[in-house]
Amino acid sequence: MENIVELKNVTKKFKGFSVNNMNLQVKQGYVTGFIGANGAGKSTTIKMIMNLLRPDAGEINLFGLDYKKHEKAIKERIGFVYDGNVFFEGLNLKDIKRIVAPAYKHWDDKVFHQYIEKFELPINKSMKTFSKGMQMKASLAIALSHQAELIIMDEPTAGLDPIFRRELLNLLQELMIDGNRTIFFSTHITTDLDRIADYIAFMQNGELVFNQSIHDVAENYALVKGGLDLLDRDTEKAFVHVHRASTGFEALTKNIQAVKNTFGDTVVIERASLEDIMYYFKGGVQHV
Amino acid sequence: MFNLIRRDVILQKWQLLFFIPFILVFVIMGASPVLVFLVASIFIPFNTYAYDEKAETNILLNSLPYTRIEIIASRYLGAIFYMLLSIGVTSLALFIFNKPFTLTDIAIGSGLFLLFAAFTFPLFQIFKPGYITTVILISFILLSWAAQPIAQFITEHLTAITDFIASLSMTALYTGVTLIIMAIYLISWIITTSIYQRKVF
Repeated sequence: MENIVELKNVTKKFKGFSVNNMNLQVKQGYVTGFIGANGAGKSTTIKMIMNLLRPDAGEINLFGLDYKKHEKAIKERIGFVYDGNVFFEGLNLKDIKRIVAPAYKHWDDKVFHQYIEKFELPINKSMKTFSKGMQMKASLAIALSHQAELIIMDEPTAGLDPIFRRELLNLLQELMIDGNRTIFFSTHITTDLDRIADYIAFMQNGELVFNQSIHDVAENYALVKGGLDLLDRDTEKAFVHVHRASTGFEALTKNIQAVKNTFGDTVVIERASLEDIMYYFKGGVQHV
Repeated sequence: MFNLIRRDVILQKWQLLFFIPFILVFVIMGASPVLVFLVASIFIPFNTYAYDEKAETNILLNSLPYTRIEIIASRYLGAIFYMLLSIGVTSLALFIFNKPFTLTDIAIGSGLFLLFAAFTFPLFQIFKPGYITTVILISFILLSWAAQPIAQFITEHLTAITDFIASLSMTALYTGVTLIIMAIYLISWIITTSIYQRKVF
């Protein structure tokens, strides 16, 4: 299986925030969801993948190429969608297309107009009159019209209504039928991912906590519920973080087998959602 | 890269409607041809910067298959291209309104424009967005206001320099000035490129 994006030991430091020693692989032909709380470093990572930011240390390769020598060849193969409109707001889609299209060797006008029609976008109205959902559709139409192999999206579903979010996810699913495409997108609405993601990369405080298939995540992580009397210094080691209440404890584990061995039938083990995982990791860090 | 230069026209097609009346006002008011050439040349390239100081524009351009070197090159080459275009339009306007002008006017006007561009383009990369247009406008007004007294001061007090200049032949003077302006423009280009390559969006 080939990696289409590869980050090796990537470090980027800002005042009061840093991405540390990050190793991330995005696999070709799959949808990878990139999750993490606000400020976890998702956008920074995406900007580094897009070469808008340069890492202080480490290597970034896309399609096996590096930005130093192959910047244009790499970007030729990427379709990008950002949170918020990056297109000139005073212009209409026709003019934006006039500016963007000649930048790409493989721009396909027919495909573009198909998407415009499909998304019911007005071609002669300026971008600033578009709703958030329409702006997203416009960005997507542009991202999909030059035969990009990799679609990178930063929070594409943020601020969208549930109906359009579902439409967008269906569309992404359709795109994946053509097995050559890879989608990498960040979100903090984790329910989006249950529907379409093959892999989940989870970031927390500038570090990658895991990057696993959604199947592995479901298999490895679980919520454990039981009485407070079961907890002591040793048994707690099985958990990422424990939440205590007067009625009992609730905890996240990343080793289900170990929990079964320690507690046997005395606890209830439930499937952990991505939201549970994010929540407990956040708590875990605060308490350590 | 030609696309990046062409982009300015698409972006500014509405502003360009103002371009001709704007020049005509200067022409009809009988401003000196040098000033008309200068102002006309400034119009398009500096309008572009009003767009490009926005972070979104830079994110867009840098996400498209362009290198940062190309983005800056398009500004510097574009400035020359639009300067030539503006000179053509302005000459036509002056000609139609029967205002006399000479090749020297064009040379001085475009020389001043290139100098002004060379000094301000790097500033656009240094100052924070939002302030820069104001900074440039004020400096432009101050410069055009101060140019006269400064020139007078030089002629009166620094006679060594003026004597030296006067001793040169016309050809030598023009060649020298052209070369100096070209050198400054190139240096400015290199500086802007190196600043832009280190920028974060």
